[in-house]
Amino acid sequence: MSRLLLLACVALAAAPAAAQFNFNLNRLVDTVKNVGKAAGEIGEKEEIEIGRDMAARLLGAAPLAAGDPVQRYVNNVGRWLASQTERPDLPWHFGVLEAPQLNAFATPGGHIFITRGLLERMRSEAELAGVLAHEIAHVLRKHHLKAIQKTAQLELAGTAVSTLARQDRNTANREKLLAAGSELFARGLDRSDELEADRLGVVIAARGGYDAYGLPTVLQTLQAMNPEDSGLALMFKTHPTPSERLDALERMQPTLDAYAGQPQLAERFAGAARR
Amino acid sequence: MRIGLLLLLLLPALSFAEPATVIRATELRAAAATDAAVVAPLAEGAKVDALERKGGWTRVKAEGGAEGWVRMLALRHAGGGAAKPGDSGISQLLNVARSGTSGTQVTTGVRGLDAEQLANAKPNAAELQKLQGYAAGKDAAAGFAAAGRLQPQSVSYPREGG
Repeated sequence: MSRLLLLACVALAAAPAAAQFNFNLNRLVDTVKNVGKAAGEIGEKEEIEIGRDMAARLLGAAPLAAGDPVQRYVNNVGRWLASQTERPDLPWHFGVLEAPQLNAFATPGGHIFITRGLLERMRSEAELAGVLAHEIAHVLRKHHLKAIQKTAQLELAGTAVSTLARQDRNTANREKLLAAGSELFARGLDRSDELEADRLGVVIAARGGYDAYGLPTVLQTLQAMNPEDSGLALMFKTHPTPSERLDALERMQPTLDAYAGQPQLAERFAGAARR
Repeated sequence: MRIGLLLLLLLPALSFAEPATVIRATELRAAAATDAAVVAPLAEGAKVDALERKGGWTRVKAEGGAEGWVRMLALRHAGGGAAKPGDSGISQLLNVARSGTSGTQVTTGVRGLDAEQLANAKPNAAELQKLQGYAAGKDAAAGFAAAGRLQPQSVSYPREGG
C-alpha cells in the first residue's frame, strides 16, 4: 500500500501536464494500481513473453552469427550451467550474435546472447561459461525485469491519466515495458546488479564443473584492451570497468581458488568456436 | 614447426608477454600455490611482464629478471593504449564507410550492436525462431558436460552484504 502511495506521489510530481485536465486523484491512483498490477506482479509466463519480445528486438539489431555448430555448442554450455541453478526449467535459449562489438546480453525469462566479437577474444570453454553464468545470474535475480518495471511504472504514472483510454492500457503497458527494455540495453543496469552477477556467475560456473577463473580471465582480457577500442564502447558504458569488477571479485577468492583446478576445455572451445 | 606454432596458438594461457602492474604488495612465488617458496617480494606498483596463467596464478617476469608466480587478481594489465594501441577494427570500418568518395555517411553494411542500433531495432521474428531451434535439452546438455568430464559441484552463493 505504501508503495502504491509512493507511486501516486511520483505520478503527481511527474505529471504537471495532467493538471490542465479535470484532475481526479482517485482516477490517478486507480491507474497506478493498474500499472502496479501489470508490472508489479509479473508472473513467470509474462516474464518469459517480455523477454522473448526483447530478444526479438535484439535480433533485429544483430542477427545470429552463421554456423549451426557454434550456436548448438553455446546452447549446450549455457543449458548445462542453467541446470545448476534455482531456475532450471525456464525455456533457456543461448545465441551468438553477428556483431564485432564485445558484449553479452540477457533478457528476462532466459534468452541470453553473446557477440561474435566477445567470443573471438575467448580462449576456453571455462571463459565462455563464466560469461554465460554472469548473464544467467541476471535472469535468476530478475535484474532486467525489475529495472524495466521501475522505468515503466514511472513513465506510465506520468502519462497514463491524460493520454490513455482505459481499454488501451494493457497494450500500452506492454509497449512501455518493451520500450523500457530496449532502452535498458543502451543504458545498463545498476552497478550493484553487475557486481552481483559477477559473484553469482563465478559460483554457477564452478557448480558446472568449470575452472572458476573463467570470468575473471575474460575481465582481464577486456581490461588489457585499449579502452578507446570502439568495440568496447557500449559494454564500458553499461558496466563497471573491468578493473573495478576484478577488484570486487577478490571477495570470491576462496570460491575461485577452491575450483581453479577444474577443466578449462580450451581444445573443445577451439574446435567449436573457431572454424 | 608449423604444427608447433599452431599448438602455441591454441594454448589457453597467455601465449605472449604482456606488460602488467602489481596493484598491491605481494610475493613472487616459485610455484602457483600459496605455500610455494617466495622468490622475491613485489611492491605495489611494480611493473612485470605477464607470461602465462594457471588457475588463479599468473607467471611473470619481474623488472630485475626474476621469474615466478603471482596472484592473477593482484595484476592489472597495461591497457590504456600502452600495450596494444590497436582497435578491434570497428571504428576503422566505420571510418572507411563514412569517408567514401561522397563523404557522406554510408554505414549500411556495417552491422553491430551500438546504442543507436539497439534503440532503433525492429523485432526479427525469423531470427527468434531460428534461435529457438538451437535450444539444447537438459539431458543433451548433461551428456555434453559428461563428454567434457565436467563434474557438477555443490557450491553456495556468497552471503550478500557480508
